[in-house]
Amino acid sequence: MARIVSLLVLLLAWQFASLGASARYLPAPMAVFTAVAAEAQSGALLSNLGATLLRVIAAFALAMILGSVLGVAMGRKRAFDDFADPWVVVLLNLPALVIIVLAYIWAGLTEAAAIGAVALNKLPNTIVTMREGARALDAGLDEMALAFRMPLATRLRHVILPQLAPWLAAAMRSGLSLVWKIVLVVEFMGRPNGVGFEIGTAFQLFDVKLLLAYTLPFVCVMLAIETLLVQKIERRVSRWRPRTA
Amino acid sequence: MNDASPAGGPARLEIAIDDKCFRAVGGGAQTVIAGLSLTLGAGEVGAIVGPSGCGKTTLLRIIAGLDRDFRGRVALPAHGKLGMVFQEPRLLPWRSVEDNVRIAAPDADSADIGALFVTLGLSAHRTHFPGELSLGLARRVAIARALAFEPDLLLLDEPFVSLDATLALRLREEIAELVESRGVTTLIVTHDLDEAIYLADRIFLLAARPTHVVEALHVETPRTKMTESEAARLRTAARKVQGALAQ
Repeated sequence: MARIVSLLVLLLAWQFASLGASARYLPAPMAVFTAVAAEAQSGALLSNLGATLLRVIAAFALAMILGSVLGVAMGRKRAFDDFADPWVVVLLNLPALVIIVLAYIWAGLTEAAAIGAVALNKLPNTIVTMREGARALDAGLDEMALAFRMPLATRLRHVILPQLAPWLAAAMRSGLSLVWKIVLVVEFMGRPNGVGFEIGTAFQLFDVKLLLAYTLPFVCVMLAIETLLVQKIERRVSRWRPRTA
Repeated sequence: MNDASPAGGPARLEIAIDDKCFRAVGGGAQTVIAGLSLTLGAGEVGAIVGPSGCGKTTLLRIIAGLDRDFRGRVALPAHGKLGMVFQEPRLLPWRSVEDNVRIAAPDADSADIGALFVTLGLSAHRTHFPGELSLGLARRVAIARALAFEPDLLLLDEPFVSLDATLALRLREEIAELVESRGVTTLIVTHDLDEAIYLADRIFLLAARPTHVVEALHVETPRTKMTESEAARLRTAARKVQGALAQ
């Protein structure tokens, strides 16, 4: 309920602000919604949203899988951590723009370069979070699993993954927002479709209405994924925790 | 040792630890166990009694194969399947009571698990999560888990510690009933002599660090058959050994 009120207030503020500004700089909400409808009717909105969403999913999955494996390995094996840690620090501090430009120069303006660059931007965050999670694994439960000779699959499913779940959820939430922002940048710079490409076009035409008409639906899609998927998964994996407050 | 075990061969638990050291953080090594040997026949219950901090838990961890950094030999009975009850229950907080048992003992049948739950008074708690249980109940779940695994050797590390007296007494009777009816070879670590007297066939008295078995007492009338006079005899014998050690 509080969320809906908060969104309505935002909409109202936008309406009032647009009254004072010229439509060229800040179009009224209604004008933007009309533009969204027009883009949807032509089919351009859906195809561009779809292209961006596919890139987000691909880059996100790549970064999560690779980052989890590397992060857990670093959290468990001290020697590997000592070796790989400087790489992670370098990657963490490398600006997203540098990675994208280098990827496009080295691999050309290709889909692989775009998705790889985005994944590489998200990778160190996942590694750092999952490494903390692996370090926090309960040694007592580990011994218990060892004493009862649990097979690796059982240990992973019932002992290790439930402990990593909160860390995985944290990595996913921060990851999703980061990934889609960077996907828009790679599309802006070197892809012939997607929300980022359309925003690039809008920028060249100084068309704020078109810019917002693409931004808003995509924000809604990401919001839906966050509330419907990520939060649900989070609730499910933490249902055993006694409720606080 | 003055005990002649009736059952020989691979069914027995045989332990001979020459020495076990811990390397201190500041350098140097501390010997915790030196020249410890004990034997337990098939289906027997052994109680390891010793002062706090003498290395009882370390000994149990060595037997369980969780600590391999020692010199000596451990021969487990039969296939060496271990049912371990740790001092802290070590349950999976994210799985229900029943799932905790089933995950550790996937081959156990439902009737057996049901019977264990009845004996241990857990039937009403099957669907609860460990976070919702008291320590006494959580420890019962750990015991049910270890027994459902149908171990060749059951290891119990201070199963009654930090329980109130009434609860400890009830749990002691339940454990006595379970080991009696199932005939599983069992090793219990405790610092309480009375617990040992009322649960064990053999009582191993341990010295302080570096620890070893000072005396092995044979219980003539174990558990349900325990008499006042036998308990008194064991108590006197143990006190004499402990008194001699203290000097």
